[in-house]
Formats: sequence, C-alpha cells, structure tokens
Amino acid sequence: MTRDLAAFVGGRLAAAALFVVVVSAGAFVLVRLAPGDATAELFLSRASPAEIADARSRLGLDRPLLVHLRDWATGLVTLDLGQSSVFGRPVSDLVRERAGATARLAALALLVAVAIGLPLGVLTGSRPRFAAFVAPVSVALVACPPIVAVLALLLMAVATGWMSIAPGSYAVPTLALALPVAAMLERLQSQALADALSSPDLIAAAARGVPPARLVWVHAARQSLLPVLGIAGAVIGSLFSGSLAVEMMTSWPGLGRLMFDALTGRDLFLVAGCALVGAMLIAVGNLAADIARAVVDPRVRGGA
Amino acid sequence: MTTRRVSTALVALLAAAGLAYWFVNTREGSAKPATGTRGGRLIATHRSEPRSLNRYVSPNLAEELVSRLTQDTLVRLNLSTGEIEPRLATEWTNSPDGLTWTLTLRDGVTFSDGAPFSAADVLFSFEVLYDAKVKSPIASSVLVAGSPLTVRALDARRVLVIFPAPYGPGLALLDAVPILPQHKLRSAFDAGKFRDAWGVTTPPSDLAGLGPFVLREYVAGQRLLFARNPRFWRRDEQGASLPYLDEIEVQIVPEQNAEILRLEAGEVDLITDQVRPEDLAALQKLQDQGAVTLNEAGIALNPEMLWFNLDPASPRARTRPWLQRPELRRAISHAVDRQRIVQTVYLGAAEAVFGPVTPGHGEWYLPDLPRTDFDPARAKVLLGSMGLIDRNGDGKVDDERGETARLSILTTKGHTIRERSAAIIQEQLAAVGLSVDVVPMELGSLLSLLMAGTGDYDAVFFSIVLDSFDPVASLDFWISSGSFHLWHPAQTKPASEWEAQIDDLMLKQSTTLDRAERRRLFTEVQRIFAANLPVLYFAAPKVVVATSARVGGALPSVLSPTVLWNAEMLSLVPAPAGSTRK
Repeated sequence: MTRDLAAFVGGRLAAAALFVVVVSAGAFVLVRLAPGDATAELFLSRASPAEIADARSRLGLDRPLLVHLRDWATGLVTLDLGQSSVFGRPVSDLVRERAGATARLAALALLVAVAIGLPLGVLTGSRPRFAAFVAPVSVALVACPPIVAVLALLLMAVATGWMSIAPGSYAVPTLALALPVAAMLERLQSQALADALSSPDLIAAAARGVPPARLVWVHAARQSLLPVLGIAGAVIGSLFSGSLAVEMMTSWPGLGRLMFDALTGRDLFLVAGCALVGAMLIAVGNLAADIARAVVDPRVRGGA
Repeated sequence: MTTRRVSTALVALLAAAGLAYWFVNTREGSAKPATGTRGGRLIATHRSEPRSLNRYVSPNLAEELVSRLTQDTLVRLNLSTGEIEPRLATEWTNSPDGLTWTLTLRDGVTFSDGAPFSAADVLFSFEVLYDAKVKSPIASSVLVAGSPLTVRALDARRVLVIFPAPYGPGLALLDAVPILPQHKLRSAFDAGKFRDAWGVTTPPSDLAGLGPFVLREYVAGQRLLFARNPRFWRRDEQGASLPYLDEIEVQIVPEQNAEILRLEAGEVDLITDQVRPEDLAALQKLQDQGAVTLNEAGIALNPEMLWFNLDPASPRARTRPWLQRPELRRAISHAVDRQRIVQTVYLGAAEAVFGPVTPGHGEWYLPDLPRTDFDPARAKVLLGSMGLIDRNGDGKVDDERGETARLSILTTKGHTIRERSAAIIQEQLAAVGLSVDVVPMELGSLLSLLMAGTGDYDAVFFSIVLDSFDPVASLDFWISSGSFHLWHPAQTKPASEWEAQIDDLMLKQSTTLDRAERRRLFTEVQRIFAANLPVLYFAAPKVVVATSARVGGALPSVLSPTVLWNAEMLSLVPAPAGSTRK
C-alpha cells in the first residue's frame, strides 16, 4: 500500500468512527428527548403509578440526560451497549443476531442489483432503442418507495405463487431491496457508458477498428465504472434505509425491524445500539467503496 | 285410502328426514366437527414476538400466547362463554364467608418432562407471583382489595386459596396464574435469578409445562414452533387424548397487510388478531370460494371513546368552564350520527353503542339503557342552554364572552379508525355550530400527556385494552381513585356525588358473591354513568377472526388470543369440496 493510500484510508477510518459515534449518540439523545418513554406500555397495560415509577427508576429515566448519556458512553468504551428494556436482554446480543441477517440480505440484494443493473446499463447506454423501453421502468423503480415495491412483490407472489412469502424466504425481500438499486445502477451506468463512448479516445479506438462489442463491454465499461463506484456509498445507505419497510413486510428478522421495535417501545439503549451497528455497516460499506475508488483512480486519494 | 295416507306419511317422513339430514350436514359443514382429526401442523401469525418465555416476568400478548399453549392454570375462564372451567383443579368448594376456597387437584397429571404435578407446584407459583424481587407484572391483577391471596396445601392433592376479602368474580382470578414446575425453576428463584430464567435464548429442552403443547423451536424474529405435549392431561368426549394437532407454528408477522396476504395465499391457517373492516370484503370473497372462514366472535369490549377532562383544577376549564358541563357532552352525543361512523369508518362491521358496556360483555350488557339518539336539533338546544349560541351569524356558536366556542380532541396519529371517526365527529359537531380541532399525536406523546396527569387537554379520543368480561377487571376505570378513571384520575375523594355513588356501588359489586346481586348493582352503575356521560361511545366493531377453511374446532373470542386460547381443540380438516384456493 502506498503512503498516500494509507493516509487516505486512515482519514476515512477516523471519519467513519466519528460518524458512528455521532449517529448513535444522536439517536440516544433524540429518543430520550422525545415525548413519552419506555413506561408508556406499562401505562397501557394498566400498571399502577408506583409500578411505573419503579420501572422509570430501573431504566434510569429519572436521571438527567447528560448523566444517562455519560453512563451509556462509558459502557460503549467497554463494548457494553446496555440492556434492552423491550427485550430484557443485552443490546449487544440482540444487534449481533439481527445485524447478521440484515447484512446477509443487503449483500445478496447488492449482488443481485449489480448483476442486473450494470449489464443492463451497458446495454441501454450502447443501444438507445433498447433504452427507450428500459429507462421508464428504471425511473419508476428508482422513484418507488421500498414499501410500495415490497407490497407489489408480495401481491405478485400471492397471485402467481412463484415465490414463497413465508418468513425467512429470501426471494421477496431480496428483490424488493435489489430492484430499485438495480434501476439506479442501470441509469447511472447507461449515462456513464454513453459519455465514455463519445469520449475522444474511444472514438479513436473505434476508428482503429476495435470491434464494437469489445469497445462497449471492455473499454467503455471500464471507463464508466468510476461514476458508478462514486455512488456506492449512497447505494449501501439506501439498502439499509430500505430494509426497515422490507423487513417489516416480509418478517425478515433484521436490524430494521429491531430498530422499529426499539423505537415503538422507546428502548433507549436498543435504539442507540441499532443506530451504532447500522452506522457501522454503512461506514464499512462506504469505506470499502472509497478504497475501491482510490485504487481505481489515484486522483481520489489526493482529495482525501 | 289408508294405503295413500301411509304413503303420504312415509313420503313426508322421508322428506323430513332428508331435510334434517341436509340441515345437520350443512350445519356441521360450517360449524366444524365436535371431534377433531388427529395430526397436522397449523400455521398461525402473530404480530409481536415474545420477550421472555416466562409469563411471570413479561405480560405482553406474545408471552400470554406462549403461556396459554405451554402452561396450564388451576381454573380457566372460557373466553367464548365467560364461564369458569376446571383445569388442573377438578372441583372446588367455598367457605360460608366466601373467603376460603378448597381446590382438589387433578390426579395423575405430569409436566411435559414427565415430572409429577402436585400442590407444591401451586404453592411455588404463588410464592413466585408475589415475590418482591421477581416483581411480576401479573401480580397486581391477582390482588384482592390490594392484598395477595394466601395459598396453602392441605395435602399433595388439595390446596386452600384464601382471599383477603370477599371477591365477586371468585376463582376467575386464578385464570391469570399459570402453574410453574417447581423442579425446574426453584433453584433459579432461590438464587434470585428467576427473572432471567426461561429467557428467549433458553433451550426449549430446558422448559417444562402442563399445557397442551411444548415449545420445540424459537427462531428470533421469525417463528415459534410448538409440538404436541403427549403428556397433556385432557381428553375429548370420545376419550381421545388432546391436543389434536401435532404442531402449531406461530410465524411472527408484524405487519397486518402482510398477514392478510399470507392468509390469501394459503400460506397460513389463522391470523390471531381480528380482521380490519377494510379487509373484510376481500376475505368474504375467499369465504364464498370455500378457502377462508370468517368467524364472528361478537362485539368488541373496548370501543373507541371520547372522554372530557373533568378535573376541576384543569387549566382549560378556567377560561372555558362550559367544557366540563354535562350538557356539552349530551349535546355532542346527540349531534353525532353513530350509524354514519358504523357505515363509513367500520364499513358496516360494527354496532352503534352508547356506553362502555357493549353487547360483547354478555350478561353485563343492558340493551335498554337510556340513549342519546342522533338529534342535532336537541344538541343545539342543549348548547344554547349553556349560553353557547351563534351570536354573530357565522354559523359557529359563541360563548357568553362572544368568543367562538372551540374545543380540541387529541387522538393518535396513524390509527385509521380513530382518525376517521374523529373527522366525522368534527364534521358533525360543526353542523351544530361547535368548532372542534382534531389533534393527531404520536402515541408516546399522548400517553406521556395522560401519564403526567397535568390535565392539560380538553378531550381525548382513544381506547383502552380490556382482558375480561367482568366489570371488576376495570375497577380502576370505574372508581374515582383509579388510575384509569380517565376523565379525572386518582381522586383522593370523589369530586362529584355521582362518582361517589359509582364508587360505592362498584366496591359493593366487587365484593358480592351473589351473581344476580352483582348484576343489579352494575345495572345501577351503568344508569348513573349514562345519566352523566363522562365518556362518550359511538361504535364498537364486530370482532371477526379469519381462519383457513381447514381449521376445525375454533371457538372464537372477542378477547385475546381470539382462537388459540383453546388450541387443544383445534384440528385440521380436509378442505371442502369446491374450494378454489390455490
């Protein structure tokens, strides 16, 4: 690894660590400041005021915010993310179980999205007639909120019986996450490829007699990779943000659903824990994308 | 002539027999056989997952479901009929003062791991229930006059349950107490680790129970798989051992649209929650095709309600004293067309109601209570009687200071039924000149406001959960010192004469053992409530539970868990001929 690449990676790592801490601490503070707390559920189950007061004390909700935050941060240093008030279990255990499921789903969705989006982008970028059919579908999919995409896929699965919708089945959640990303990649790859094909060096290559297929699939595709890599961070972010609706609708036991349970139960430590791990996954994804870009294009390292 | 008469009689007899045969078979076809078919896996959905496998430490619906499937109680409240049924106790007697119950335990019962059940397990369960370290959330529902029950063993097969005061519902209280295996949990309890025992990560093989099923597998966030407990004590009328089903798989599906889709796809047999009105039409079509059965359990016990802040210290009432006048509540009740809410919000799947006790409460419901029928002209007269009249001709009533009479109704954001109902109430009150602001709030924010007890609101449109038919279960709603006496909670002494009367009647009602006398007292309570209307009710939904057509033996209840409360009697029957289900 060259010195400038090492410096680039070091800088990105520090930024990622700061991002993770700010996101998780921010989540903790926001949930603590929002009206209502974890004892609301007790109130609905008609617990007595004494029981509610006892629960508030047990959960530390009677302590000042800064003291509470300090205790959480102290635990964080020793990798103790606290105890979930909703599940009555260590937050670290819960997020470990669920983050794996989300990461698996996200990785598979990314793979499917890349496998569909990039070749399709090359095709539509090199054949404008083909693009006329594909582009409207891609634009619709990019604009489609995850909840609509997953509902449509569930309806299709029910109507056709082609895909199982049983909890734990991969087909519907993977496609629901992958299709909008594939559409985004297709649009970007298509534009980048069209730009590359009109660049002077590729026009010259064509004039030199390089076969059209090689020109498109080797030379132009390689050149158009950089802009696509540039949005890799955003893609990874969208996979995690979209996973909330997808996991809810498809009963996927991932981090998004855990975060939803934590938010509805006003579970401070669990919200912060989910935010921490979610931010870490996004940071790692972004870091990987940044490093890939830096390896492909040395100019990126200078901007670090 | 005689031959003709005999022939006619024979034909008539055959026709009658044929008709009877057709009728019986048709009825059986829809009502499912009394005796179930052995075997099969029933797949149900549930919205939430358990946070513990121990009902004593976590009181939510998922834990209750796990407890109902894997544990058993001394007696059970039949959620379909409301009657008390023998379970681990086969018979019981009561002392003349009504305080001491002697229960005889069922002979030959063993836990799912083969250990024998005895009175020691009953004593252990109550010891855990009331233990200060365990802090069981279900303990407060097993107190009488604020004190615990005393439980003693006479011998291995008989226990005494001593109530600290006479208690109207009697042994129904014991329905909340699953009997735990002392041999499995005593050491954790003695070590002060009971709350951590039987967590969701505990291997299912470490659990033991007296219920019809045992937990075989729990996949966090996905499913619970229960297998038949071959040692379950109960047999059906033909002497066949129960449960009929080999397995019950409970899939965790947190989203209701996804639940309905799964039922429509034929991937699940049962949705544990009730069906929303907007889903009924689609499911009705599937029922017509023979794929789904819609089981009407009755009218819900917890209709949405509009209550007013009647705390005299409320800051709102200082500037607008008319907010606390009974004429206002009566006027609003007359101004709202309940049928419109029934038809528009519930799409017809509800009944107009005028009080907290709906037809779903069975014997406690009074169909002849005085009603405030839809009568906008009467509403205007009542508003006028408080000095709320249109003084400037803008169509809105003004108070005596000439300011527009305006009140706000808080409700929860995202709850479709509440938001739509509140919008109709707002529109219909505008028609009589009363200005209303509907304020949808996040649930947490609304509950936080109510818990604070500062009384800083005009009115709230919300509902509360009821888990019993018996009015004593809602004592904290009826009596003025109760924390759920929503319109003016936790009063140190009754703020009004009528609240004092209700306090007196409800306390008597809760300690009277004679059921007829309890009904009489509660009738009086309802009449006083109807005369003062601290809370307004408009519509109560019909509780409809959807199952696949192959589910037999369902006895749906308006209480949760609507069908799985009687899981041992459920069975899977072949799909009816002509079913077009995929």
